[in-house]
Amino acid sequence: MRGLHRVRAEGIFYLLVLPFAALTVLFGLWPIVLSVQVSFTASATALRPDPQWVGLANYASVLGDTLFQESLWRTLAYTAMAVAANLAFALAAALLLDSKLLPRGNMAFRLILFLPVVTPDVAGYVVWRWLFDSSFGAVNAALDAAGLPAFAGLTTPATATASVLVAELWHHAGFYTLIFLANLAIRDPALEEAAKVDGAGAWARFRHVILPQLRPALVINLVYATIQFLKTFTVVVVMTKGGPAESTTFVSYLAYQYFDQARYGEATAMATILFAVVIVLSLLAYALGERGRA
Amino acid sequence: MQERATRLTRRCLGFAAAAALAAPSVVRAQVTTLTIWHDLGDNGITWFERMGQAFAQVRPGVAIRSQSFPTEQWFGRVIGAINTNSAPDLIFNNYERVIRIQSQTNRVMDLRPVLEGVRDRDFLSEQDLRVGTFRDRLIIIPTQRVQMAMGTRLSWLRRVGESAPPDTWEDVRRVAQKFREGDPDGNGRADTFPFALQAARPRDLVHMLDLFTFGAGLTHTLIDPAGNITIDQPEHATVLAEFLRTYSTYRWVPPDTVNHSFTEMYQVIEGGRAGMFRVGDWNVRRWDGANTIGGDFVSHPWPRFFPNRDNAVVIAGMRGVGVPENAPNRALSVEFARFMLTRPAQQASLEVMGSAVRKDLDVSSLSERQQWFARARHRLVAYDFPEATHAFYPELEAGFHRRLLAAIGSPPRDHEVFIRELAREMRDTARRLSRG
Repeated sequence: MRGLHRVRAEGIFYLLVLPFAALTVLFGLWPIVLSVQVSFTASATALRPDPQWVGLANYASVLGDTLFQESLWRTLAYTAMAVAANLAFALAAALLLDSKLLPRGNMAFRLILFLPVVTPDVAGYVVWRWLFDSSFGAVNAALDAAGLPAFAGLTTPATATASVLVAELWHHAGFYTLIFLANLAIRDPALEEAAKVDGAGAWARFRHVILPQLRPALVINLVYATIQFLKTFTVVVVMTKGGPAESTTFVSYLAYQYFDQARYGEATAMATILFAVVIVLSLLAYALGERGRA
Repeated sequence: MQERATRLTRRCLGFAAAAALAAPSVVRAQVTTLTIWHDLGDNGITWFERMGQAFAQVRPGVAIRSQSFPTEQWFGRVIGAINTNSAPDLIFNNYERVIRIQSQTNRVMDLRPVLEGVRDRDFLSEQDLRVGTFRDRLIIIPTQRVQMAMGTRLSWLRRVGESAPPDTWEDVRRVAQKFREGDPDGNGRADTFPFALQAARPRDLVHMLDLFTFGAGLTHTLIDPAGNITIDQPEHATVLAEFLRTYSTYRWVPPDTVNHSFTEMYQVIEGGRAGMFRVGDWNVRRWDGANTIGGDFVSHPWPRFFPNRDNAVVIAGMRGVGVPENAPNRALSVEFARFMLTRPAQQASLEVMGSAVRKDLDVSSLSERQQWFARARHRLVAYDFPEATHAFYPELEAGFHRRLLAAIGSPPRDHEVFIRELAREMRDTARRLSRG
């Protein structure tokens, strides 16, 4: 009787879940499957009903392509820099907002920090592009007014990468800050009090008491940011279009360029490789976080 | 009683006769709708509406419904629809985009027999038809020549003491110097640039080079139909070297141009920061408006580089209509495609879109600057569309673009040596790519 009741309850559960599961399969998984399928076809016939199958030829071509190799390393390096910069900034901002250093306007600061997250990314990046414009941008106007040398902004490889990173930090850091703040709100203050009584200084309390309690937020942010920055695309389309000298041509944008040249097979092979890299690195980040907990 | 029955019978017969008479008109009232997919936005929708009204007068019972998609979506939708037998009746776009549709579907109709049935078609030149042909198939009926001239700000010319827009490259050098240093906008700040160009994507930069090359009276910017790389031929090399210097050592464009595509280039032009720029026939209507340039520009052919070659305005695109082989109403679609070359359709094209292919249209309602394009009394040279001949061209162009951008970022000490090395590299790449 009890078993029957359970089966019925589970049946209702699966019945209610079914429409959403079907939608996920249809709009979430099916496009991925199709994209992977295209990666095994010759580009010239990729979108025909009877494509020519070429096995792993597109993967071999992409992996042997120096453009892709450079782009992949560039993407990994940028991801490492962007994850570190975003998490460090977000953690610092969260600690500041959680402390008693900002008794007035604390909520306003939180709002200001979170506002870019809900701002449409294209609009935000267009404004950043104008700010960095080397002939009329506000950044150089301010530097000029302060008597400082001009910033090359988006016109040289090194400064373009830095500019893109700053724009992305502006857009994403608020979200990571929010996650850290949520974690800080549920930490145990008694542990800090005890450490203080035992004579631990501010750094020691942060390093050995607060930071371990922030592990859940750190893991979530690390995994999410890794996924986010490995897929960096919109900011490149709006601000640099991969330049100058391909310094911001990350894998997503390179795949998009190949699409534009009708090289569908190679483009989807790139997308599939990036997908695999994202999965592996995300699992790695998650495993690292879990191992620390154990 | 009998009389009543007779009357009833007469009435019934009368109704029957009326119904019989009305039936064909009911059938006639059934409207066949032809669907056309394009990427021309609101202007395109207005144009097709006007053509639909004109077509309905010669072909009652046929309505035209046009749908505009962003270009990238247009590709996907058209390819998907043709491949799944749910094609629209007609497709409309630039020639090179229809090439991509044909190469992915192989089901765009050959319209050569259709065009041969059109008597009034002398206004289409051999060049026009060559532009519309891909692998011996006429895949579009050309309906709009896309002319691209050079534009120069009139008020800037006056302020720096120039009486006419530049004609030769020497003129350009002189005017550019004045536009850079002579405060041509009169605001007291050194914030102007001689040129607004673009460079971000392969097509952006090479398209600009196409304009300089074809405008100077040369042909085949990078590769000719036989597969020969042309960039190190003496005249081509001269144009290419000056073109690269325009972006780099001369400092005639804003430094951010390396990241500029169409949108950003237009912002520089409309923001009043550049004095010389590309002007397409479709730009004129907008740039006549007070919120943009307010008509403060003059259109003219691209600069002459060589005394023995005539400079020109470049036909850098051909828009036209294609018919999928599996179009639901193929016969009617062909009829409408043919209609798009008639005077009423072409007049609407000129007035709404700013371009057409006929030369006998009424241009009196157009502005002086629009008329300049519409009358097309200047020398016109058509771009060669190497992607139609060489399937590997986009990949070759992407490699060419990379090397040019590198040369703009770090200008070579000797441009001529750089061009010779680049030509060698391009030959190797073309050879490798052509082997497939």
